[in-house]
Amino acid sequence: MLFQSQAFLLAFLPATLAIWYAAASYGGVREWVLIAFSLVFYAWWDPRFVPLLLGQILVSWVIAVLYLRSGRTAKWLLVVGIAANLSVLLFFKYAAFLAGNVMLLAGLKSPTMSIVLPIGISFYTFEIVSYMADLAWHGAPRYPLRRFALFVLLFPRLIAGPIVRHHEIIPQFDLDPLREGVFQRLALGGTLFTIGLVKKVFLADRLAPLVDSTFTDAAQTAPTFAAAWGGALAFTFQLFLDFSAYSEMAIGIALMLGFTLPQNFNAPYISQSLREFWRRWHMTLSRYLRDYVYIPLGGSREGLGRYVAATIVTMGLCGLWHGAGWTFVAWGLMHGAGLMVNRFWSARELWLPSSLAWATTFLFVVVGWVVFRSPGFDVAGTMLHSMSGLDGLHGSFPRPKLILVAAAVSLLGPTSYEVVMQYLTPNRAAAVLTATAMTVVLFEVGAGQPQSFIYFQF
Amino acid sequence: MGARNKRRSISWRHYCGVVGAAMVVELLLACALILVANPYGNLPPLLFSSHVIMDTNQRFQYPAIARSGRYDSIVIGTSTSRLLRPAALERIFGGRFANLAMNSARAWEQYRIATLFAEHTVHPRTLLVGIDVVWCDENADTQRITERGFPEWMFDEDPWNDFPHMLNKRSVEIAGRRIANALGLNPDRIPFDGYEVFVPDESQYDLAKARELIGPVPTASPKPYAATPEGRRKWRFPALKWLETLLDGGWQRAVIMIMPVHVAAQPQPHSKSAAREAECKARIAALAIRRGVPLVDFRIKSDLTTRDENYWDKLHYRVPVAERIVRDLGRAVATWQDDPAGTWRVLSPPPTLPSIGAVGSTQRSDLSR
Repeated sequence: MLFQSQAFLLAFLPATLAIWYAAASYGGVREWVLIAFSLVFYAWWDPRFVPLLLGQILVSWVIAVLYLRSGRTAKWLLVVGIAANLSVLLFFKYAAFLAGNVMLLAGLKSPTMSIVLPIGISFYTFEIVSYMADLAWHGAPRYPLRRFALFVLLFPRLIAGPIVRHHEIIPQFDLDPLREGVFQRLALGGTLFTIGLVKKVFLADRLAPLVDSTFTDAAQTAPTFAAAWGGALAFTFQLFLDFSAYSEMAIGIALMLGFTLPQNFNAPYISQSLREFWRRWHMTLSRYLRDYVYIPLGGSREGLGRYVAATIVTMGLCGLWHGAGWTFVAWGLMHGAGLMVNRFWSARELWLPSSLAWATTFLFVVVGWVVFRSPGFDVAGTMLHSMSGLDGLHGSFPRPKLILVAAAVSLLGPTSYEVVMQYLTPNRAAAVLTATAMTVVLFEVGAGQPQSFIYFQF
Repeated sequence: MGARNKRRSISWRHYCGVVGAAMVVELLLACALILVANPYGNLPPLLFSSHVIMDTNQRFQYPAIARSGRYDSIVIGTSTSRLLRPAALERIFGGRFANLAMNSARAWEQYRIATLFAEHTVHPRTLLVGIDVVWCDENADTQRITERGFPEWMFDEDPWNDFPHMLNKRSVEIAGRRIANALGLNPDRIPFDGYEVFVPDESQYDLAKARELIGPVPTASPKPYAATPEGRRKWRFPALKWLETLLDGGWQRAVIMIMPVHVAAQPQPHSKSAAREAECKARIAALAIRRGVPLVDFRIKSDLTTRDENYWDKLHYRVPVAERIVRDLGRAVATWQDDPAGTWRVLSPPPTLPSIGAVGSTQRSDLSR
């Protein structure tokens, strides 16, 4: 079920909130209520994968219990648990990719494997694995099955994050939803959710056809200079607006339920360096990779060799996490290389005017997104060649007004999160505006099939 | 300033209340607008007549025509049938015609609207099916509708379950137009018989532009495609079963007409598509013969389809040509004979017993003279 569907907005969300608050005084009951609603939410896409999801939860929880019963000595159990979860991810997401590459290396014809990817598997598997890693490294506690299940299933962030750690969310399950500030949380959460809806429906989804046609056409004929730049910039803003909108909606719904989720985006396109970009883009994934891959591999404190290896592995995995394709790996490695250059540049205290630093970073990011979005290196090459202007500065820039508005929303002013969390005060005008925006979106999304979020495919 | 802000400030509880109340009020107003204006004529009429067309998407407006009971005869097809004027058809076939041909309509969509019409018409009189390539498409059963959407929800007998599907900006927009129409501020978009001259006015006709749009006429394939009988048998034409079902719909008369597109839009002679098309026509002819229905083929190389002056583009003939086609169709159906000048061929012989082909109405028409 998509957040921006009428079924969600008119039925699922109101019903969830009503029953959640009706059961607010009954701790266990309200948690089961949320588990049940989360399962309905997940099953709406494809009920076939509910047993897989529940199986991963149950097996992981049993392994955690057995590990704790062993007095935290049987670490092999956690290794098995992590391997089992990653194997599921590997099978569903990477089996076809791996098989294709093995066959290619062997000089054989690629097999045609079609494995349906369970939605959200990359996100919830990472969360389960983080708990197991924390059991081993940070003495994470045992949780009752109900709470562990709710940690994984909590529907606002089940499909595409923010990637939450167990210790961030599970203690919040104890909090009374009706505690002081309930109306403030409902108001702020509802308003943030509405802003996300508007960004998704009126900006990201309107950029989508332009992006799709540019990258599809590039597989046939080289776009003009202006068309290639238009498509590349449109995707740059579409991806941000789509994913940040989803994150805002997730954070908003969670807040309406009384939970605080971590921020996921903080105006990434204003970054003046690549390191800053990764502190602002998909922040919960960045910190996840930092804590569970980069630092365990040695990070930057174990010498240059370890740093280079840690960076390359972390960013390569980051790319691969986004999709089973070499373009994703190339995108990740490209960012890894960029981060290293950035680090050496900073270490030598070389200076760049802030406008030039921003332009360089933004250009690097846009070029990266072209590789990321392209179905293959041939299309990426065609797009980048056209963007280079080597074939002339021809063509007309597509949808200039839309791209300009998307750029302004992405680059200027406070973020939606800041607008709501720092600047929103309770007043009638804001309330009526929020309600009207929600109503307009409701009628907008009723016109056809709602467009899925880009990050759902990862 | 501070005092003013303070006066405007409300509690968070009040904020939630205003959001909720405003949303409810806005939603109710929009719902009331849709309910009262009845933009597609599918809801029970409250204030306004449901017999007005204001939308540009025919798929949403034609169910109201089909249900109206005003007509006893229809044309179905794609844009190549839309210029067949109901009044001209009435002169030939009698009855009261509505033109329910829809732009780019898939065979399934045509089948659905014709079935709906038959179900809501006490004595359905004439069904004229304008056949296009969509009826011969091997994917007609898997690709049943176009990206324009098709309101299957309008096709059951419960108008109220349509309402949730109407909660969208398009319905609100059409409802607004509908109310403006009722207030005399704007005219009906098209007449309630579905007929619309969708091509530009004749005064704007430009032969050079038309030729540009028509493009080159395909020459015969240098390597003639030879389909084996076994290969031809395996070709799928899934829409033809719907066509056969349609003919069983209790019509007094049915006529199948293969529409005259310019030769530039017809398959390359001796190609595989030409062979598939010939097979499709043969199968339509077989079912027409079984049902005793005239099948008139205008989709051939003829004076009509080779003269660029007859067309706006390779698919759409001009309005005066449409009038000629109706007259020609009348002659073809009356005589069951090929045109001596080669404009049409009748692919089904007249039935030995004239039960299906006979006009059962007392209304005067050219055919009954």
